[in-house]
Amino acid sequence: MRCDDLDAIIEAIAEGQAPAGDYDAHLASCPRCQARVATAQALDRLLATRETPEPPAGFTYRVMERVGREQWRAEQLMDVGFNVAVAAGVALVVAGAVSLAWSLGWLTVDRPTLETVSTAIEPWVSTTLSKGPTVALAAVLLTTALGLWWWVEGEASL
Amino acid sequence: MPEEMTSTSEHELVKRCLEGDEQAFRELVERYKGLVFALVARSIADRARAEEVAQDVFLKVHRGLPYFRGEARLSTWIYRIVVNVLAAERRPMKTEPLEGRGDGPPREFGTTDRAFEDVALRDRMEKAMERLPVNYQVLINGHYLRGLRYEDLAEALNLPMGTVKTHLHRAKRQLRHLLETEFR
Repeated sequence: MRCDDLDAIIEAIAEGQAPAGDYDAHLASCPRCQARVATAQALDRLLATRETPEPPAGFTYRVMERVGREQWRAEQLMDVGFNVAVAAGVALVVAGAVSLAWSLGWLTVDRPTLETVSTAIEPWVSTTLSKGPTVALAAVLLTTALGLWWWVEGEASL
Repeated sequence: MPEEMTSTSEHELVKRCLEGDEQAFRELVERYKGLVFALVARSIADRARAEEVAQDVFLKVHRGLPYFRGEARLSTWIYRIVVNVLAAERRPMKTEPLEGRGDGPPREFGTTDRAFEDVALRDRMEKAMERLPVNYQVLINGHYLRGLRYEDLAEALNLPMGTVKTHLHRAKRQLRHLLETEFR
């Protein structure tokens, strides 16, 4: 038997689990393999007596806090999804009803009415378009403010 | 496990958690935090990060409970989550082939003052452990953790018991080789 052959069963020898074999003779005469067995035994002893790390105080509380936060976020997401779905549904129903009424001739808009509406909204549309960047910035700020409010509300309610 | 649970109480606990009983999940965390934190903290030296990762494990447990079918023990299932989270946390590190290494004579232990040797060896062992692939690391940590049985390891790793023992020997051999070569 050579050192390399014995290396494969060093751990089993160290644990006293190696089947009886012809390694005894080699081991008795090989200081290198004896050292390997000694290392394996020392490792086994150290691994078995390693300190078990204990969870820090308040660990459970912090886990529950995160679980609660995650649940709240999931519920909020579901609420937003639900509201968007309802709004989209209502919009679809209204659009469908208007289209149906239009196609059946129940709903007619004469030219003077269209012109009146167009004249009424035209200044507002042109003003808004001319102030495009300002309006966009205001929209971003409003969205950010709403987002922050939503987040703070969430943190405070946990 | 730190506290043995009968399958009935385990089943009951899971059922209560699924019904949205917050107290039940708190109880579950209390029962398994020792095992989870010990396994994680033995793989991640930074305590703050270890706590964060251990918390992640419980978040995954919470999310996954509806899919827990009860075929394996709860502890086994949690152990599997720990392995996955640790594997994701640490990019698996490949070790070099073991053959042809350590041409010089290996250091011998136990021939002089054992206590002194143990302190030095323990330090090197911890460093060498970090170099082991995650699955070997967790296998060794799990095996030497009080209360975790061979059956749990076998179930969690989806391997026969004999294979787990073989893997454990390989893991320890790789650890020893690291000590004999790179961490002499």
